Amino acid sequence: MLAMDNRQSEPTGGAERPVVRNQVVPRRHPGRWVAVILILIIVVQAVHGVATNPNFHWGTYYEYIFSPFVMRGVAWTLLLTLVAMAVAIPLALALVIMRESGNPVLRGAAWFWVWFFRGTPVYTQLAFWGLFAVLFPRITICVPFGPELISVDSRWIVTPAVAAIIGLGFNESAYLAEIFRAGFRAIDRGQTEAAQAIGMSQAKIWTRILIPQAMRTIIPPTGNETIGMLKMTSLVLAVPFTLDLMFATNAIANRTYLPVPLLLVAASWYLVITSVLMVGQYYLERYFGRGHDVIVVNGGAN
Amino acid sequence: MHGIAVAPAVELLGIHKFYGDFHALRGVDLNIARGEVCVAIGPSGSGKSTLLRCINQLEMISAGQVRLSGILQGYRERDGRLHELSRRQISEQRRRTGMVFQRFNLFPHMTALQNVIEGPVHVKRQSKSQARRRGVALLERVGLGGLGDRYPNQLSGGQQQRVAIARALAMDPEVMLFDEPTSALDPELVGEVLDVIKDLARAGMTMMLVTHEIGFAREVADHLIFMDNGLVVESGKPQHILTNAREARTQAFLSKVL
Repeated sequence: MLAMDNRQSEPTGGAERPVVRNQVVPRRHPGRWVAVILILIIVVQAVHGVATNPNFHWGTYYEYIFSPFVMRGVAWTLLLTLVAMAVAIPLALALVIMRESGNPVLRGAAWFWVWFFRGTPVYTQLAFWGLFAVLFPRITICVPFGPELISVDSRWIVTPAVAAIIGLGFNESAYLAEIFRAGFRAIDRGQTEAAQAIGMSQAKIWTRILIPQAMRTIIPPTGNETIGMLKMTSLVLAVPFTLDLMFATNAIANRTYLPVPLLLVAASWYLVITSVLMVGQYYLERYFGRGHDVIVVNGGAN
Repeated sequence: MHGIAVAPAVELLGIHKFYGDFHALRGVDLNIARGEVCVAIGPSGSGKSTLLRCINQLEMISAGQVRLSGILQGYRERDGRLHELSRRQISEQRRRTGMVFQRFNLFPHMTALQNVIEGPVHVKRQSKSQARRRGVALLERVGLGGLGDRYPNQLSGGQQQRVAIARALAMDPEVMLFDEPTSALDPELVGEVLDVIKDLARAGMTMMLVTHEIGFAREVADHLIFMDNGLVVESGKPQHILTNAREARTQAFLSKVL
């Protein structure tokens, strides 16, 4: 009943006679060949034009591509991206759970958060986080209208790096919350009911049943967002945070008066990091796709 | 406390259920004794599934009482008032019932065996090895020995439903609830699921089934109820109801399905 026949079983017409397959001359596609040749000509022209053009200053490119200053920028950009996403993902999850709450204040707060952080430019948000220590010189924990318990100088807490991470992470959490919400909405209600029926607690239903299933649909757009975040880190000069890749290559360009090779240096590294992130995404998708991306066998019905 | 010893496994007293203005259940009383199989039949929208879902609190009742072995479900009685139980307490009460759904509702990201041991490991906190041994035996019992490593989408509908039965049994429920367990199956797969349910009935499991399989109802039911329009119209031995129903509505329904 369940035999999985890997070979396509050859219809034998009932008898033992061997099947003689039709001899077919494949269809020709002359249009495709014309298109391929055109593309090849354009690619060769473009590569030749870029490689031999003196205005690209390839010497300067090779001089700076692995320079310690640039490498430090790459490390900071990668760090900002990952930490900001690490801030955004749990926040977004909390927002989604709040949106599902029966309490209108929790639902309203989550709605307001998304409305505010999606509705204002991230550049402005970053500038405000950079000004945090000026606007609020001291962070104080106190009894409302009562004595203060702890008081710290804001400068020691909201450093430029922290301001950059909070700014990017909070902004991103609003976008991710919408992606996550769509992912959870796509799960059949029967999944929650089946989990409730075996007596699972609400927390276990989220962690064991809903989140693993939502991951499958959430990961591709979240990968998109992560790559977007990689490039959004170049906006941290609004804080101002001055160690990221874009700031580093711009600084060199301003010193050498050669913007083009330094833009190419930055672009190359963004491409490299994006490629690395894509590999990570591939493995995550494969893991969370289990139970979906396997061969479907319609057992008894065969 | 002598009352508990004789209390029926399931006791429904004056159950009403409203969805907004819609009156889905209009005062249902029903007792299911320990070891008894109660089958509910009736037209679509008659409230059979809603009634079943009230027993394990997937639906909150609007009026009345649900008692399992004499214990009030969903509320605590104090000072003559009903106090809502916490979610945790409701989860604990739900462990006493097992439920099998029309559309199986297996967890698609887990293999058959993982589906079966999910409750024992993560709700009852049994050790994984102990739960696995029991899970393998349960899959064996529903005729799926050796298929524990398959994901739900590698199983036929009938096999999936049998995994769902094993998953419910793994929690050692006092009562099994079946909500149209064969309605989503291809006709040739219905038999294998019904055979498992018959085995459970023979083993003395207390069960309530909602089904459209009248022949099966006749065979397995100790107690048949016919529901229409949110009420139990007729209740009794299956052979009596199916052969000489008293109520006109029952006769009209049976004339269409028999």
